[in-house]
Amino acid sequence: MPGLLSPDGKESLVPFNLDLQKPSIHTLPHGLRPSLFRIHISWSRGNCLHVTCLRPPNEDGEGCGGKIAAVTLGGGEGGDLSDAQMRRVAYGSVPAFALLQSQKNVDIQLPRMVADTVRSQWWQHVLDYSNQIKALLGDAKYSPSSVIENPRTVLKPVGELTNLRAAWQLMEIFYADKHSLPWLPESLVDWLADYDSLISKVESTIHSKLTNLQKKLVNLQIVEDDPEYWEGISSALAVGWFDIVVKLLRLHGSYQLDQLDCRETENGLVETVAVLVSEMPRMRPNLSNGKLGQCYKSKSDFVKAWEKWRGHIAKLDCSAFWIQCANHQTRDGLKNMLQIMLGNINSITTYTCNWMELYISHFLYVRPLTAGFDGMLSLAQKCMDLKSISGSCVLTRLILGILGENTEVILAECSRTFGPWMVTHATELLTAENNEAELVLHGERYNLGGISIEELHRLVYAQILSSHTLTWQIAPTYLVSCPKQGLGFLEILLYKQPAHHYQMILKNLEICRLYELDSIGISVMKIAGMHHWKHGRKGFGIYWLQQAHDEVRLNRIANELFDCIGKSVSDDVFKQWEGLIELLGSEVGKAGGLEFLHKYRDFKRSIHLVQDKNSVDAAKSAVEFLMQLMKSPSTPQRFWLSLLHDSVKLLNWPIRPLLNVSQTNLLLNKLQELSMAKLHPGFCNTNLTSEATSSIRLALGANLGRAILEDC
Amino acid sequence: MEINSNSDNQLHRFPQFKAVDAVRWIPSISAFDRHVVAAMHDPSASTSSIDVHSFTTNPTPTLHLCSTWTAPSRITSLSSPPHSAHASLFPIAVSTFAGSLHFLFLDPIEGVVQSEASVPMEKENGVRGFHDGTVSAVDLQVGGRECVTVGEDGRVNVVNIEQGGKVGWRRIDDSMGLVSYTAVKWGSPTEFATGSLGFGIQLWDQRKPTGLVSQFKGDWGQGTATGIVHSIDIHPSRKHICVVGGSSGTVFAWDLRWQQQPIMLSGIGVCESSYSPCESEVWEVQCDSHVQSGFISAPSTTILPTMMCSEDGILGVLRQGEEPIEILAENCAINSFAIDPQNPSDIVCGLEWESIAILTRLRESMPM
Repeated sequence: MPGLLSPDGKESLVPFNLDLQKPSIHTLPHGLRPSLFRIHISWSRGNCLHVTCLRPPNEDGEGCGGKIAAVTLGGGEGGDLSDAQMRRVAYGSVPAFALLQSQKNVDIQLPRMVADTVRSQWWQHVLDYSNQIKALLGDAKYSPSSVIENPRTVLKPVGELTNLRAAWQLMEIFYADKHSLPWLPESLVDWLADYDSLISKVESTIHSKLTNLQKKLVNLQIVEDDPEYWEGISSALAVGWFDIVVKLLRLHGSYQLDQLDCRETENGLVETVAVLVSEMPRMRPNLSNGKLGQCYKSKSDFVKAWEKWRGHIAKLDCSAFWIQCANHQTRDGLKNMLQIMLGNINSITTYTCNWMELYISHFLYVRPLTAGFDGMLSLAQKCMDLKSISGSCVLTRLILGILGENTEVILAECSRTFGPWMVTHATELLTAENNEAELVLHGERYNLGGISIEELHRLVYAQILSSHTLTWQIAPTYLVSCPKQGLGFLEILLYKQPAHHYQMILKNLEICRLYELDSIGISVMKIAGMHHWKHGRKGFGIYWLQQAHDEVRLNRIANELFDCIGKSVSDDVFKQWEGLIELLGSEVGKAGGLEFLHKYRDFKRSIHLVQDKNSVDAAKSAVEFLMQLMKSPSTPQRFWLSLLHDSVKLLNWPIRPLLNVSQTNLLLNKLQELSMAKLHPGFCNTNLTSEATSSIRLALGANLGRAILEDC
Repeated sequence: MEINSNSDNQLHRFPQFKAVDAVRWIPSISAFDRHVVAAMHDPSASTSSIDVHSFTTNPTPTLHLCSTWTAPSRITSLSSPPHSAHASLFPIAVSTFAGSLHFLFLDPIEGVVQSEASVPMEKENGVRGFHDGTVSAVDLQVGGRECVTVGEDGRVNVVNIEQGGKVGWRRIDDSMGLVSYTAVKWGSPTEFATGSLGFGIQLWDQRKPTGLVSQFKGDWGQGTATGIVHSIDIHPSRKHICVVGGSSGTVFAWDLRWQQQPIMLSGIGVCESSYSPCESEVWEVQCDSHVQSGFISAPSTTILPTMMCSEDGILGVLRQGEEPIEILAENCAINSFAIDPQNPSDIVCGLEWESIAILTRLRESMPM
């Protein structure tokens, strides 16, 4: 334990507080009988510890001698996606990320003149990338399950909402979507409409208020008598959810046919307000389906329409009809709404729940033309002074980071809450067209070992991917995008993959091939070869070593193999070796020392065919194989004698000598060499008798005599 | 679930949150209720299982988990016969990395494992009798009573299950690890083909005393890539032709009547004439019967169209002397696929990125 030198902890080098983190206890069901002899602990992938428990050796052979238990430490980060769901996001983001990187590489190679125009369009690529990633993070829009809409359902049910998606969308609005920059405030209005429920889990939000109201509406006969109804309408109005406002207003009792006559004025006022709400001018190009308002693209048109609309509201506010409205709750409620629409700070402060909602309200009714980060930040601070959230929410912290144009804060927030995936992928948004952020993220840092912050985060993310058996294959995509240290990490990753299953090795080799890491591929094959060889799968081991062209190991292996064969190969044994020999192939030099096996088999085959004096062709080819074997340096000495013994038949060929003088001399030399070698200490004795040796000697002598005569 | 569709195919992806090692169809009894079996592996919990899903297309395509059977170790191979002789229960055979073999009997209506049987794992003189180490492939006979297994240990075993669930096995061959087998497929009730390293194919006949009938060594040409056989298929109408898929995008057919000359369908370096749809491992091949009916009546020398899936994410159909057809191009490896034997337009795929994809061919695809 670091720094725990004295029991009171006063003299410790690093302050270490035991109370801070209670040690967590994991129970290991190892299932061994008691009295453990030794325990080894080692790190496995990721957060997994391998604990090897061994029992004392040589103690009653019953049961197994040891067991390995895996302990997974920690339960992952507290993000709102499970590990498995995060893996799905990780897989899905690979194609988008890879596409963006390849586009980047293409752009770098363009000539300068073209590059400038391309660069100005770069955000379009980033936006495509952002949309692909956003699609992975869930769909905020809910597809209706039934066609018939309940008139009393004001809040549309939403799909899965996650902080991760909300944060991503927020960053997209500010950094990637250059189209919507002129109408940034309106984008934020839309964003809040989707994610208001995430702003605070503890305190009430407008969304939670409306959810409660909706539950109540089902049982409510006369809605306008309930103060919550008016409060809900005003709140929805304050944050610009006009479709909900109008829907709620139409539930007003004065619309009912039996009451229309006596409440004509009241109904007129309600309808007028509903129409005014739905005609509010908005500074944006278009509205999604079902949303209300009049869209204006140019500022001057918008200002004109805005003034006119405000004029209508002011006129209505001073209208004489209010006196004729008998229902004072309706009157007060509608008047309140007018105040909100007129931008009365007190009203909007009353009807919003937190600073974010108040902020949006300001954009809608007080400062619809707010532009620039400075103005937005000061407005945000003003709203926070008026309404603060106890226990700050990650999304609001992120917004403040963005408005403060503080790249480091944004990265820190992303990293703390959403982890390395978010940081790695969001970096692309931050650097889309922001030179300052690009400087911060792409600048090489001395204290990081000369790599940039962007590369650091990619490396961290790749490490996390590598630590899982299912995601390691996508880590290379990120590693190759790291210019300085990526390739080094990739080599380590590929080296370290387990070699147990050949399918995994092949997947590993495929990555080597893809990134042209031939030397790594060869090392992987060598590792695999040795693994299989050691585990008794000789054929597989030889296959991998052959693929790696590893002659050194093949020669070593050859010696071991020949030990298994013994001194001579009987025909029965050869059947078993047939498959292996087939694998070795006939190509020279491919099998190293194992080449011998192949030639030996050929020799044995042809000598087998030599039955009588008629099979001259077979005998001739047998002589040829014999000569190849005897000339080859890879033929082990221990086989020489048995080879010579097998060839006595050829030497004593009846009609004419098959071996010429030089060939016979070669064989004689070999025999001489063998008898000399007998004196060496490491000589491997064969079980051929001395009679056999002398018969070989005799046959060689006779053949030499006949060959000399033939030559004359 | 994600939906991709174009005019030719309709694709649905179903995330599983577990590694999908193998997928197979189970022949259905009714037309609306089909089942898919998948071999799963969850590394975070270190568990492997066979999941039976029911696949329904009405109103939207959904994959619903019916039952799960936990396997003792990660599953290497999964075999289901194209149709069942016994209508009541449908057999599948499952082999594992630990060297065990299991028979599962599924209720084809409910998709529930009704009973199971395994090869006993006793040891002889400290050595495991059945397979020592990974069983690399298993193939079940049409009747579901007999299957053949091959392993990296070089053993070839035939396993039969008797009435009453008793499992017996006998060894056909043991190369003592000198040869490792990686694929196996029945050709007839007595003959089967195995695949090994270096594109080796062996043909075995149980009636012969030695077992081995003939073998093929993929030693074609000089300096060409050699590799491992990953999958073999033999179509019932062409029992003399083995279709083989392996490393480096290689797919070839081996006609037993012309044993020395393989017919190349795809591969780098080995078939210059035609275009190779992929360069990486071909994990699985299967004869594709979703073609114009003329093919079945074609001369017996014609190689049937062959579907293949690959490490670089290609699912394609190869035809002799024609341009290959790409059915699906994924961003990740397609580790396994199966064509529905009753409904050959439907294909199920096991994707590397923890999901199952079901693809429906709406019409004959055009060449790539």
